[in-house]
Amino acid sequence: MIRTYVGLIIVLALAAVVISAVPGFSVPSELPYIGQNYAEQGVHDTGSINLVTAVVVAYRGLDTLGEVVVLFSASTAIVLILTLIPIGAHPTPPSSIVSFTAGVLPGAIVLFGIYIITHGHLSPGGGFPGGAVVASAFLLVMLGSNTIPGQSKMLASIESLAGLTFGLLGFWGMMTLGQFLNNLVLPAGSPGKVLSAGIIPLISLAIGAKVASELSGVFASYRKSGGAE
Amino acid sequence: MSLLAAASIGTGVMMLVAAVAALVVKKLISAIIIVGFVSLSASVLFLLMDAPDVAITEASIGAAISTVIFLWGRGKIGGEE
Amino acid sequence: MTAQSLFYWSLAVTALGLVIIGLWGVLTRKNILRIALAFTLADTGVNLILVWSGFLPNRTAPIIDSSSITSVVDPLPQALVLTSIVIGVAVAALFVVVGVLASRKSGSADIRRMKELRW
Repeated sequence: MIRTYVGLIIVLALAAVVISAVPGFSVPSELPYIGQNYAEQGVHDTGSINLVTAVVVAYRGLDTLGEVVVLFSASTAIVLILTLIPIGAHPTPPSSIVSFTAGVLPGAIVLFGIYIITHGHLSPGGGFPGGAVVASAFLLVMLGSNTIPGQSKMLASIESLAGLTFGLLGFWGMMTLGQFLNNLVLPAGSPGKVLSAGIIPLISLAIGAKVASELSGVFASYRKSGGAE
Repeated sequence: MSLLAAASIGTGVMMLVAAVAALVVKKLISAIIIVGFVSLSASVLFLLMDAPDVAITEASIGAAISTVIFLWGRGKIGGEE
Repeated sequence: MTAQSLFYWSLAVTALGLVIIGLWGVLTRKNILRIALAFTLADTGVNLILVWSGFLPNRTAPIIDSSSITSVVDPLPQALVLTSIVIGVAVAALFVVVGVLASRKSGSADIRRMKELRW
């Protein structure tokens, strides 16, 4: 009980320090310099009309490569821990509602996920949420079946190939135009078409495949270690 | 008071009350579901702040994948009380 | 206070409140899964603050359609938050797995009983 109140006092003091450091209480009306630059020149430089995807994949592509490495190392660590140190229990068999839904829905969910991945430069979305939606379809299939998945070598090989594709696309830019992950090794095209915006669609496909297979591998290893309740 | 201000204040109060409730309730499964609800309300706030890309990402990864991970963990150690 | 500034600052207060509640939960809760939940709440609050820092009222989403209006919100914090959400779920997954292992090893999910972590 003492811990609750001491913790409350500490976090309220921290909140007071943060609030007293706010410089002014007026609503801003101009974009900062970099944001203004991206807003004005983004479509002309990269050819993608979704500015957030242009920043994530083209202007800050190296940070996205770092994020892919972080996700890869985290998922490898989880699968390694769950495989080497099994935590036993038995998975509960699915009810009839779950098994019926798992026979009907996953096709539509995968189609929706592929739409989000491939239209990343035209509408909100991109590689990361599209890959998560495809992994959700895999989770639904897994929850609706009675069997425990076997050794998922295909998922691991898809993941490795997608990560390798990302690196190879970067090296293609380095070999032809002298800059790693240069966007314009393919033409920028006319903004608004699916086949436009340089290599942004290809990188989105690689990221989507990598995230989908990674999260599916993590779910499969949860199931193998005894029950995704 | 405009509609945007009412929506943001209402969602904000609901999120803060739900966050305190998630840490105080007795059963662990209620806490996990309430945290999923807070993630979904954060996705609505992202939409009010003109960020549809972030809203889709938060809804699909934060509300769905994260909830599955916590439910698996709770199934391993059992809910409290 | 105008309705617009009320809208603007209520978003910041919500996000900061979520960070404060998440930090309080990490400090005071005893079950290891509840500490993971509080950490996820604080992470959501930080992402909200980041997107709020690039928000300007009366502008539109950063997707330039054919009418070519360049009064959009700042796209750079939104790109940062896209990365941050994905990394947040990876950290939460690792937190839960290591917490489950620690609770198996020490017999209960109470952090006061995990004596091997002390020196």
